[in-house]
Amino acid sequence: MASRKITIEPVTRIEGHGRVTIYVNDQGKVEESFFHVDEFRGLEKFCEGRLYFEMPQITQRICGICPVSHHLAAAKACDAVARVEIPRPAKLLRELMHMGQLVQSHGMHFFHLAAPDLLLGFDADPATRNVVGIIKANPELALKAVALRRYGQRIIERLGGKRVHPNFAVVGGVNAPLSPKDRDEILADHAEALATTRTAVDIAKGWIEANQETVSAFASFPSCYMGLVDHEGGLHMYDGEIRVKGADGKLLAQFRPEYYLAHVAEHVESWSFLKFPYLRKAGWPQGTYRVGPLGRLNVVDKIGTPLAQEEFLRFRQINGGKPVEGSLYYHYARLIETVYALERITQLLDDRDILSTDVCAPAPAAKIPGQGVGVIEAPRGTLFHDYSTDEDGRLTRVNLIVATGNNNWAMNTASGLVARAFVNGNRLTEGMLNRVEAAIRCYDPCLSCATHALGKMPLEITLVGPDGTVLDRISR
Amino acid sequence: MPRTLVIGFGNIDRADDGAAFAVINTLRRRLGRPPLGEGETGWEETGGDLDTVFLHQLTPETAESLVAYRRIVFVDAHVLENAPEIHTFPVTPDFEPAAFTHHLTPAMMLGLLKALYGAEPEGRVVSIRGYDFDFRRGLSPRTGELAAKAAELILGLVENPVQG
Repeated sequence: MASRKITIEPVTRIEGHGRVTIYVNDQGKVEESFFHVDEFRGLEKFCEGRLYFEMPQITQRICGICPVSHHLAAAKACDAVARVEIPRPAKLLRELMHMGQLVQSHGMHFFHLAAPDLLLGFDADPATRNVVGIIKANPELALKAVALRRYGQRIIERLGGKRVHPNFAVVGGVNAPLSPKDRDEILADHAEALATTRTAVDIAKGWIEANQETVSAFASFPSCYMGLVDHEGGLHMYDGEIRVKGADGKLLAQFRPEYYLAHVAEHVESWSFLKFPYLRKAGWPQGTYRVGPLGRLNVVDKIGTPLAQEEFLRFRQINGGKPVEGSLYYHYARLIETVYALERITQLLDDRDILSTDVCAPAPAAKIPGQGVGVIEAPRGTLFHDYSTDEDGRLTRVNLIVATGNNNWAMNTASGLVARAFVNGNRLTEGMLNRVEAAIRCYDPCLSCATHALGKMPLEITLVGPDGTVLDRISR
Repeated sequence: MPRTLVIGFGNIDRADDGAAFAVINTLRRRLGRPPLGEGETGWEETGGDLDTVFLHQLTPETAESLVAYRRIVFVDAHVLENAPEIHTFPVTPDFEPAAFTHHLTPAMMLGLLKALYGAEPEGRVVSIRGYDFDFRRGLSPRTGELAAKAAELILGLVENPVQG
């Protein structure tokens, strides 16, 4: 069989490189700003020809931080391809693993990435504006933050055998039940994890109250919002229908995940490898939406756990019941979701079916030509896995829309707004870099997870004059 | 010999990004230990004077497992055009503000270790030039050669800390 090899220069092939290019006019005012992600998503093509049931193992290797999201979305897509209904206990166990993932990922983001901005300030000395600064300011909390992340990781490990790239979800369910010992050990550490998270919620709220003007204005803009909702319109991270609301909070669409292509289109720009998803019926760019914690809390009607619901009601009052627009509110929303995940863990562990050994449906038919879609709310937002196979189960087409892709337009808009506010003239400053980073960081993008080779820059900002001359460049 | 951990990290599904995996397993063979399989970290077998583990990436909760070591050798791939193909250098605690990355650098890991637990092990990076980061397993021929040499270098470093 003839084959073709497509060669792509290394810089475009190695994930982990974000660029912002800012174009200024003769007066030094920002004309345009672009956030580029040099991420070539070759994985979809790479998967073609593989057997569909390999996907839960293959696709989670896209990322070392949220492999569980890809693992579970892939398993859901495979269930759909195979036309199998998984047993209820398997669904509970998959969700339990997902909650562990949410706790570790959200916990990591808040304490490691967001808190230095919030607690130490955007203009603090870079030598101290980091997690070490947080440790010095509050060593006890720092140790608890590490324990919180470990708590989430241990749930994943107990279910999947390891913390990163677990082997758990399979077509039709999961490959092992939960033991009573593991359930009891997860419950034993739960109270401390919840207490740490509630402390973090108080920190975030305190910071918001003290910096109300900044929080309301910084990278704040109208958009549509997307997230999964359960049958009562409540927050659900594993299952449900996809709901999209407009900037005014009105319902624009609600649909089952398998019909996503009828509702979601992807716009292409020549300057980015990432596409720009949008809601078809609203058109481009009016239909661009935000996903992730802010997107989810802006579309749901309620949260089904008491402490998170209490906090959600406060969140809803921020903009008088309408969608909350400020990017910095992502941090608050992320912590509310962490409270939800921890409360949901106890709900799941208390369920009568959680220790059941009925965790996998019978093997599917050997011949399964078809298509299947799996959608899950990854920590960073809605994640789509869509597979088509031939009758032997070999993949003929793979389409992945990842959370960071869904937020591509939003990150561009956020960084552009910050550039317009803080760039003036022909020089870039550390403060400007800090703020552009902070704006993008709200969305917790996953740019650098698949490879970590020494020597890559996570972010580079280039300032370009009206004649195309590079006026300044700053990188981290 | 001070208690030493050789900690490799990278992504074995991205060709040369898995260079450290090859280095760790070469070391393990030289030390008479079974090589790590896919998904194995080696943490379960630690407790000796010279331990070897492989991780996908360095993350904060890894710090508590490092407290007991006096010396840590970090092994990774690099893409630095102006550095030696086997790039080795001492590393000390540091903590730059993280932009959006979710993993830690060796300096950041040592910084976290110092700040959280007051531990200050001697740190060294041994980094191997990667040339191919495609979606596949196995190293490019050149990086494979370098990985074998790096394993020998690390054995030398372990026996003589001032070398390199």
